[in-house]
Amino acid sequence: MLRLPPYRLLEPSSAEEAVKLLADEPGEAMLIAGGTDLVPNMKHGLFEPKTVISLAKVEGLEGVSDSDAGLRLGPMTTLADASQNALIIERAPALAQAAGVVAGPQLRNVGTLGGNLMLDTRCRWYNQTYFWRKGLGYCLKKDGTLCHVVEGGARCVAAASNDTAPALMTLNASAVFLGPDGEREVAIADLWTNDGIVNKKVSTDELLIAIKVPPQAPGHHGTYAKLRRRDSIDFPLFGCAVRLDLDEEGTVSGADLAAVALVARPMRVKGVEELLLGTKPGSEAFDQAVEEVAQLAYKRCRPLDNVPGDAEWRREMVPVYVRRALRSATASSGA
Amino acid sequence: MAARDIHGPKPPWGEHFQVIGKGHRKVDGLAKATGDAIYADDIVLPGMLHAKTLRSPHAHAKIKAIRTDKALALEGVHAVITGSDLPECYGVIPWTPDENALAVDKVRFIGDEVAAVAAVDEDTANRALELIEVDYEPLHAFLDPNEALGRGDPQIHEGRKDGNVSKHVKLDFGDVDGGFEEAEVVVEGDYSFHGTTHGAIEPHCAVAQFGADGNLTLWSSTQITHYVQREISKVLDIEPQHVRVIQPCLGGAFGGKSDPFSLEFCVSKLAMITGRPVKMLWTREEVFYAHRGRHPAQMHYRTGATRDGRLTAVDAKILLDGGAYSSFGLVTTYYSGQLLTGPYHFPAYRFDSTRVFTNTPPCGPKRGHGSVQPRFAFEIQLDELAEKLELDPIELRRRNFQGDSTETINGQRITSNGFLECLDKVETASDWKERRGKLPFGRGLGVAGSMYITGTNYPIYPNDMPQAGIQLKVDRSGLVTVFTGGNDIGQGSNSVAAYLVAEELGVEVSDVRVVAADTDLCPVDLGAYSSRVTFMVGNAVIDACRKLRAQIVDTLAATWECDKKRVRLMRGMALDLEDSERAIPMREAFQLTEAACDTLGATGSYNTPKLGGDYRGGAIGASPAYSFTAHVVEVDVDCETGFIGVKKVWCAHDCGRALNPRLVAGQIEGSVYMGIAEALLEDHKVNRFGLHDGPSLLDYPMPTTLDTPEIEALIVESVDPEGPYGAKEAGEGPLHSSIPALANAVYDAVGLRLTDLPFTPAKVLRALREMKSAAGA
Amino acid sequence: MRTLHLLVNGDRLAVAAPDHWTLIEVLRYRLGLTGTKQGCDKGDCGACTVLLNGKPTLSCILPASRAEGHELTTIEGLRPAHCAAGGEGTDPVQDAFDRCDALQCGFCQPGMMLSARALLNENAQPDRKTIQEALSGNLCRCTGYTQIIEAVELVVADAAGVDPVLPAWQVDRDGEDLPLAPAVEKATTAEGDN
Ligand SMILES: Cc1cc2nc3c(=O)[nH]c(=O)nc-3n(C[C@H](O)[C@H](O)[C@H](O)COP(=O)(O)OP(=O)(O)OC[C@H]3O[C@@H](n4cnc5c(N)ncnc54)[C@H](O)[C@@H]3O)c2cc1C
Ligand code: SF4
Ligand code: FES
Ligand code: FES
Repeated sequence: MLRLPPYRLLEPSSAEEAVKLLADEPGEAMLIAGGTDLVPNMKHGLFEPKTVISLAKVEGLEGVSDSDAGLRLGPMTTLADASQNALIIERAPALAQAAGVVAGPQLRNVGTLGGNLMLDTRCRWYNQTYFWRKGLGYCLKKDGTLCHVVEGGARCVAAASNDTAPALMTLNASAVFLGPDGEREVAIADLWTNDGIVNKKVSTDELLIAIKVPPQAPGHHGTYAKLRRRDSIDFPLFGCAVRLDLDEEGTVSGADLAAVALVARPMRVKGVEELLLGTKPGSEAFDQAVEEVAQLAYKRCRPLDNVPGDAEWRREMVPVYVRRALRSATASSGA
Repeated sequence: MAARDIHGPKPPWGEHFQVIGKGHRKVDGLAKATGDAIYADDIVLPGMLHAKTLRSPHAHAKIKAIRTDKALALEGVHAVITGSDLPECYGVIPWTPDENALAVDKVRFIGDEVAAVAAVDEDTANRALELIEVDYEPLHAFLDPNEALGRGDPQIHEGRKDGNVSKHVKLDFGDVDGGFEEAEVVVEGDYSFHGTTHGAIEPHCAVAQFGADGNLTLWSSTQITHYVQREISKVLDIEPQHVRVIQPCLGGAFGGKSDPFSLEFCVSKLAMITGRPVKMLWTREEVFYAHRGRHPAQMHYRTGATRDGRLTAVDAKILLDGGAYSSFGLVTTYYSGQLLTGPYHFPAYRFDSTRVFTNTPPCGPKRGHGSVQPRFAFEIQLDELAEKLELDPIELRRRNFQGDSTETINGQRITSNGFLECLDKVETASDWKERRGKLPFGRGLGVAGSMYITGTNYPIYPNDMPQAGIQLKVDRSGLVTVFTGGNDIGQGSNSVAAYLVAEELGVEVSDVRVVAADTDLCPVDLGAYSSRVTFMVGNAVIDACRKLRAQIVDTLAATWECDKKRVRLMRGMALDLEDSERAIPMREAFQLTEAACDTLGATGSYNTPKLGGDYRGGAIGASPAYSFTAHVVEVDVDCETGFIGVKKVWCAHDCGRALNPRLVAGQIEGSVYMGIAEALLEDHKVNRFGLHDGPSLLDYPMPTTLDTPEIEALIVESVDPEGPYGAKEAGEGPLHSSIPALANAVYDAVGLRLTDLPFTPAKVLRALREMKSAAGA
Repeated sequence: MRTLHLLVNGDRLAVAAPDHWTLIEVLRYRLGLTGTKQGCDKGDCGACTVLLNGKPTLSCILPASRAEGHELTTIEGLRPAHCAAGGEGTDPVQDAFDRCDALQCGFCQPGMMLSARALLNENAQPDRKTIQEALSGNLCRCTGYTQIIEAVELVVADAAGVDPVLPAWQVDRDGEDLPLAPAVEKATTAEGDN
């Protein structure tokens, strides 16, 4: 069978210890949560850490807690648990939905929220075996000097493919990292760079210890729409999360839209709130605003030939899925 | 070729069956359910080494030099072999042996095998592969069949007469040009079928042991033990009686395990060199390189008909992309033309089919070998014809029905033919008359029909021996053991053998043991391909049983001093039908017979009668019986996304007699699933570098439960005069018409004629848009 | 190399394995539990599904150490557990798969049956959609899933004491029923033909 390269496995019991172990071997050690991304990647020779540090036994990284500051999600919470968690379903429905459509059932039982946020970018020229990539002469992201998506391109454009990222962005969530210098909190929207090689502004010795979802508006609605060929297992070919806040009259008082599986970073589509504000789901004005949002998204979102599926078609799917997401977000409001 | 005894569909005791026609557990079902069943990779032998293969990174290149000394020097490595260790060519078709276990002087696609290493474990073997140095001189790589057709230099297989053409067949029957002159309507068009692969969940695996006595034993995930034995004997130069090939439980095949494969030769050779057992398990990626799946096909069809819808002539031109090797390609090329001449009457027919080599993973037989692609094209043409003639597509098909007990234009003998009943069933079940053409825009129904062979007259290597043989051993314990060379690949052929024995000899199914697919123990059967096993092995089983049954009945009639007609064997008992006092368990009946007749055993065999047209290639595709199928597919096209949602598929299949209807339904359902998957999701291809586009079960998307439509299997039993109790095939036929029926349903739904597979949403959306703008213009 | 302390199918076992081994390697190569199948190498097919604390998990990409101290069930564990609980024969899921002839090549089925078992443990009366969702991470290439879903529905129907819904092909056929026991019932009367 496809083999894993040998590595040393460490199983710290505290976050501090995990961070220290990371710092002990700079660049040579990697964290593993559920391993559902890292293990296939290691089998493909994409990562060859000398040491793998398991988070399985680290205390305090699991579960969902609630306070005035909102929800605090442990990064080791599995996707299955997150998708079925009553608090998440109620307060952050888009996140519950996104977690529930990641991969297939078995992978959601093991794959974690933290691992999903920290997911490596994906590309059809990259997520392949060592033999395959070698035959190709490798590529920029790993071992090579060329990009096969953008010929002559000097930058990797592998796609952010984590379903939960856009949902977390629309929820204005933040991530808490523990590093050698202590904790830092960063808005998830600010986590990303446009570099497909490493698309996160996170240092290799930092450990994600929590995801914080602030309290949402009373009339919060959210949803996640995912484009994929099969209704299970597959990574997104495009994914979009929307937030719609409705005031007491049922009028839009806040809105947001973020998308994934386009370029290296999950991206927020700016200017969506302005278009929707003050409209009322069910009204013509709302429908018109939805259309404008869909067109805006179409303009902003330009999928590349990085993941499977015709890029032009994926782009055409942007307005369709944005429309569908906005409509289903309000469907539950009775509007 | 001697035709063996044909026993006919009726059993000697009358009409009624005790076992046949009913649902039963499979003989190996519980072993599979509990994890007890042993598949090739479950075999572990003492001291066993693990082998790995070095593969070509070039699509087409000469090998200048290979240096293996560093690999051999690595601790834990026991042997390294290259092409020069196994220079003898092989191929499943004896006329086209163009494969080597390891490349001899050139490589022909990315993934072609170059060297193999046996080491203490897989990790060590993998490390050794990295130490093998190969100097290649790259050659121009052909990735496009049209280019390979037009350009013969460089040749992928040097020294052949016809550039890069692998096989060309041109045949015509009747007056084709006259037929088109007579035609009042003609439809003509281009159709294209993409590559798809088998995707059996079990990757290929082989284990070899070379005994100190000079006997080689090979356990392999193969569906053709007999041919593997022959080729191993040839390539490794061991007399065949010293080569034992065993097929353990097999994790799916669909044609993907019906060639001899590199790994079988490599483990055998490595076991001989090292004196230790050797296992090789391919990764999923390697299975994609070994491929042998559906040939991509570019097809041009012309069909003529009279105004009342009678076909006058059919003319086809086909280009098949064969990939790097011949495999079954000779047969594929014939099948692409020969198997179209039913269930409709063709007054005149011509086909011109060419298979070319390209530098891509070799194509071969996949479920519905060679005939799925032409069926796709032709059944769409029938739909186009129906539209032009303003006829209901089912009605058009009925009008052209060829009938039973007839002969096709290309000389194929048709015996039973339940196609009309298939059409009736799908028409009724789908509520066709009420719904077709009447559903709201976006939803639609489509129909298609097809036929397929039940084994073939052509035994791959010419010989007069039986195609299927059986031995039966009857034990005084009450156990009956069937020895069959037949390969159970999940279709349940071992179970079918047990059901037939149970019916004939009156024992419980659970009192029959099946020993199968072991060349030392079992009489030859040619293997699980061409949908031949139930028919041929089944007939051989009945042939053997009749001999034993006669002994048993004679003995009991003598013992009871009654007429033989009064003796009935059923459900574990031997009975005197006219004296209810006389009923003894079969065990006792066996003992009485053994005492009277000596040790009990029998052989049985089957061969086809002489079949096929009297012309070169006339026997290829000539089958002792043909199965028939009709599909209705219901779709819901999402015009915003291009996704085709398949709501439901009705598939009626004429399998002759359903020996176990539950197994027949399973074959129908599996075939329909696979056809729809090919049409909508799967695409086996290489990218612009000649590299496989995504050799994994993530990138090659096989449908999950959520992507599989509701399937309604409908069984039609025409009772064939020559099948075992009248049975024909069910494993491949029901795939064929699912794809054109789907295409025709899309036409009904949105008015779009899809002729270019696969029907990806991107393609559908683009086509919808073009249609709209054409309509607007 | 580390020593893992595993609870496999009720047995406490200590087994040594290299750090980088996945659970399937430990099960198949160290413990000889070859009922767990490997189909794709890397998390794409579900053939290697085992139950980790009752939850379906892909053993081909699970680092073996993750199983330490947790309860593991492989296909080999279902029948003994059923027997230990006083049952006869096999687990009802295994039995139903066999009765429905859902086991064609059988290679996907250990994983499939474990996913089904886990579902039924949580929800004894799942509807068809729920069954499809729960099995959507297990690829089967043989059956088109139809008889698999029938099998799970048969377990549900048996548990509820109702008749299963017959597939269309079976509706008009007489004299046919799902075989109940591995052996067909013994003949007691003769029939009139011959
Ligand atoms: C067949 C298949 C299909 C898939 N489909 C999808 C899909 O549709 N959508 C999708 O989003 N994903 C998909 N995945 C990927 C994966 O299963 C999920 O993204 C999952 O959430 C990853 O979580 P994990 O815990 O397994 O991550 P791991 O593999 O353990 O880790 C992933 C990365 O995150 C890092 N990491 C993990 N935890 C932390 C932490 N606390 N702090 C810092 N770094 C950390 C790791 O070092 C690693 O680099 C699929 C995977 C497979 C095999
Ligand atoms: S985008 Fe280019 S550089 Fe990045 S992974 Fe893909 S091929 Fe490599
Ligand atoms: S073998 Fe584990 S998912 Fe395929
Ligand atoms: S029974 Fe063969 S793969 Fe499922």
